[in-house]
Amino acid sequence: MSRVWALALNTFREAVRNKVLYVLLLFAVVLLGLTYFFSQGALHEQLRVIRDVGLVGIELVGALIAIFIGVNLVYKELDRKTVFALIPKPIHRWEFVLGKYVGMLLTLAVLMAIMSLTLFAVLALGAAVFSGDNDMSTIVRAILLIYGEVAVITAVAVLFSSFSSPILSGALTLGIFVVGHFTPELRELVAKVESTPLRVVLRGGMRVFPDLHLFYVSGSMVGGQHVSVHGTYVDWSYVAVAGAYGTLYAAVAIALAMIIFARRDFV
Amino acid sequence: MSSVVEAEKLQKTFALGFFRKKVHAVHDVSFTVEPNEIFGFLGPNGAGKTTTLKMLMGLIFPSQGQARIFGRPIRERAVKQRLGFLPENPYFYDYLSGAELLGLMGHLFGLPAAERKRRARALLERVGLGRAGDLALRKYSKGMLQRLGIAQALVNDPELVVLDEPMSGLDPIGRKEVRDLIVELKREGKTVLFSTHILSDVELICDRVAIVVGGRMRDVGPLKALLSPRLLHTEVVIDKEGVQTAQRLPPDADVDAALREALAGGGKVVSVAPRRESLEDLFVREVDAADVGGGAERVKVKS
Repeated sequence: MSRVWALALNTFREAVRNKVLYVLLLFAVVLLGLTYFFSQGALHEQLRVIRDVGLVGIELVGALIAIFIGVNLVYKELDRKTVFALIPKPIHRWEFVLGKYVGMLLTLAVLMAIMSLTLFAVLALGAAVFSGDNDMSTIVRAILLIYGEVAVITAVAVLFSSFSSPILSGALTLGIFVVGHFTPELRELVAKVESTPLRVVLRGGMRVFPDLHLFYVSGSMVGGQHVSVHGTYVDWSYVAVAGAYGTLYAAVAIALAMIIFARRDFV
Repeated sequence: MSSVVEAEKLQKTFALGFFRKKVHAVHDVSFTVEPNEIFGFLGPNGAGKTTTLKMLMGLIFPSQGQARIFGRPIRERAVKQRLGFLPENPYFYDYLSGAELLGLMGHLFGLPAAERKRRARALLERVGLGRAGDLALRKYSKGMLQRLGIAQALVNDPELVVLDEPMSGLDPIGRKEVRDLIVELKREGKTVLFSTHILSDVELICDRVAIVVGGRMRDVGPLKALLSPRLLHTEVVIDKEGVQTAQRLPPDADVDAALREALAGGGKVVSVAPRRESLEDLFVREVDAADVGGGAERVKVKS
């Protein structure tokens, strides 16, 4: 695991020395700061607006970073041929892929921690100025779920990065991100398909796409219960189940990436 | 003692393009590298040297054949722990400094942090980058990157050092320094396998040579054994009244008689040089034979 950690730290180092990342982070921090002003027009709901807009901002910036860095994680090593010096070292090829992914998770954890602290600060300011309930544990649960979501998106991006170009990988990952958010609507559509074999195939096909709605559910029904990351409906057991689903999905995607990477010729 | 490297009938065929056109990059390459020798892998550009070395390093999967290093399958971690590799025209992470890159490589070999730092400093000094250790690699010249590449190949103090075109990008002083380093590695008991297309590098330091052309092994063995001892011609330079003329006498000519005649005519002998086959002659002969045989896939550009 020391070798995986060495590669993970190197990936983290690459991210923190990437100026583009700082631009995105600055954008996120400014956006979060502006939520305070967005909330001004919302009567008695200022804190809710700050929370909702803030969480959307963290999710979108986190997903953007996961996609645009994730699709280059493996591809760049192949394109710039840095992999030629690494593979002959005493590492397994799967350790290489895992190290890149763990490094990316570390990067995302730090970025989301910074964005979260910014949101907490804005909420604290809002709570002091406006009257309202500021339940921090709700926000923490929501942020943990968002982290689970970006971890899944990153795993999908790494999978595509192991065999295709950044542009194609980015388009495919973005597509999966969008489809993943509409899984309840798509399930309803599929349920209305008359042909049984087609319905079965489509249902099976839907399983391939990650259920990202699980991580950003808002006021809808999941498993017969109303759940929402914005309110108090999402409890810790829900976070645990969603986290387990995300871990399993990401593990399968990364395992596939390892299999593809293991058989590649580095010409 | 068994061979350090054993390559047996290695072949590599690539399927390229939309129609998966087959390109045979390496055919039936077999050779061994013995302990504590400097083995030169010589061939023109596109001969298959890099493809062969990459097969040995586990970067490319052979289509056929097999290879063993230290008597073990090449992909075993225990094998990789004992070898160092310099890829051709090395590319490294440009956001790292030289010291950080060596630290990363040391970490992959399982060296503790203090030992990684110590070796990084020592290796940077050894390859002449002592003052550039903290500079980002994006600021390194090609020659500096080449030197750093050699340093990272030595970070684990390997028993076998494999260098793909180690003199590439270096000026004459740099090339001499790398040659001296290779000889030093042999003195330390290491085995060195390096590829090159520069004949003088091979002539000066190699114990044994393999010549690869068009993906095929043409010759392999000690240089003296590969070169024909046959006299090609004798070059005689005579100075007569301040004018020097050079003559090329055929191998069966009576050189003594020719010299006596020149002296009798009032000339002075400047030099007499018997010319035997050089590595360049052998190399050109093998390349031409490959072209005639149709085995080479390189295109000869005629001026």
